[in-house]
Amino acid sequence: MLLIAFNFVREQRWPIFVLLLWVLLLAFLGLVADIPRMREDLLFLFKQVAVYVVAFSIFFGGSAIYNERKSRRILAVLSKAVRREQYLSGLVLGVTTACGIYCFALGLTGSWTLGAAGFPISRVWFLMVCLVAACMLAGTVALMFSTFLNPFLAAGATALMLGVPWIASQTVAARWAYVIPVSALTTTVLNSTFNVPGNTEWFPVCLAVLETAVFWVIAAKIFSRVDIAVAVE
Amino acid sequence: MTEMPAALEFDSVSKEYRSVFSRQCLRALDGFDLRVEAGEIFGFLGPNGAGKSTAIHIAMGFMRPTSGQGHMLGRPFGDAWTRRHVGFLAENVALYHRRVDRLLCFYGALNRMGGTRLGERAREVLQMVGLQDQAKRNAGKFSRGMLQRAGLAQALMNDPKLLILDEPTSALDPLARVMVRELIRSAREAGKTIFLSSHLLSEVELICDRVAVLHRGKLVRLGRTADLLQSTEQTEIVTRGVALQDFAGAVTHDGVVSITVPISTQRGVMQRVWELGGEIVSVNPVRRSLEQVFLEVTADSQPPQTDGRL
Repeated sequence: MLLIAFNFVREQRWPIFVLLLWVLLLAFLGLVADIPRMREDLLFLFKQVAVYVVAFSIFFGGSAIYNERKSRRILAVLSKAVRREQYLSGLVLGVTTACGIYCFALGLTGSWTLGAAGFPISRVWFLMVCLVAACMLAGTVALMFSTFLNPFLAAGATALMLGVPWIASQTVAARWAYVIPVSALTTTVLNSTFNVPGNTEWFPVCLAVLETAVFWVIAAKIFSRVDIAVAVE
Repeated sequence: MTEMPAALEFDSVSKEYRSVFSRQCLRALDGFDLRVEAGEIFGFLGPNGAGKSTAIHIAMGFMRPTSGQGHMLGRPFGDAWTRRHVGFLAENVALYHRRVDRLLCFYGALNRMGGTRLGERAREVLQMVGLQDQAKRNAGKFSRGMLQRAGLAQALMNDPKLLILDEPTSALDPLARVMVRELIRSAREAGKTIFLSSHLLSEVELICDRVAVLHRGKLVRLGRTADLLQSTEQTEIVTRGVALQDFAGAVTHDGVVSITVPISTQRGVMQRVWELGGEIVSVNPVRRSLEQVFLEVTADSQPPQTDGRL
């Protein structure tokens, strides 16, 4: 599982590198900007850069199996003593690690720039944990859809699945956001003001981990029944 | 006494590809039965679209059969633990772009290999396939032939009991083909089973103990290679002491006259040789090439069977 996860991260090194350029941009602003004057701009940019990673987790999760099947590299991997559910676990871990690298880099940069702007930095790391949990769940949902849909449809289905609880939370009741807590976790990041001691709510994080396991089981069930070899004849 | 399990066994395996939207149905395998014994080199032949790769992919667990079942090394198809003892080389090899020695270690580790043995084995198999000087090169920069050799190396990493090779020599030069042929022979001598799918009939003819020909998803010929190559219709009578012009179509070499005749007329021709004062040196069934056998059994080559609206 770890081998597959690290292999996934290695294969995605260029998209991860591009993602890290955003973090570099934030670091650059921290170097050149008049931080005390640009506090609110920095915070806004930090939040924006932070939530992008959730979209990228959907991209990573939704395209992982498709890319491997299309390139036929999946055949050499699954011809070894690797069960399909182990393969999926490796991909989930790989997506989470890829997003985790980004969140770690962002956490470091955010701690430095936001700390210099006078924001409490302990909050930054809690928000990064929220983001990693959101990415893990969003990536797993995308991975589940990608076991039987092409990457675009999988991304669309994932957006729909994650978006419905958010719409329900806005129109029916706030607790709907916890059905699939990706929106709850990203809202936590977006609404964080840092000015007042934040409420460190771990419930959606735990729920995201639990739901990741549930979606992984569903994905494994579906994937075990899918023909992975494209007929070449 | 218990029967030794087959290395590979297909039991009435059928596979249909169905299109979700157009209700098309393509039958790639149709009640396919086959038993590959342990320790043999088995040639798996068939025209394009016959279902060879489908059968291999079902055995490897990449696909599920529509009906039927099969066993590999005594365990049902798709069993991950069994694949520890299987080496597989896919047609059109695709490997990750990284240093080939590290790549082999990665594939070996997926088969639960570890420790110092992993690196040693990677060096061994690179030597076997003649890539020892390329160990530090990125597989992404390999030519197709080198990639195929690297693919063969990854299949050999776990020292498999069963080696499934789908077109292993298609991109190789003649020297590399000889090397692969010797590799396959030495694997058999080491007690391994080799299941070889190939279009290179001369290769199959040279190394395979038994051959199966698949056509339109069905097994149309199965037997020992030597038996398949023997003609049941013609015989060659080698004689001495007769004139060449006494027999139509006779040829002479090394002082003997060879006459190829239908088996039905064999007795009469021999009688005539004796009447002319000649001597029969030998009577042999005419040996055909595997290509002739292949063309004979697949003469009505058409696309695979379909039903529904195509």
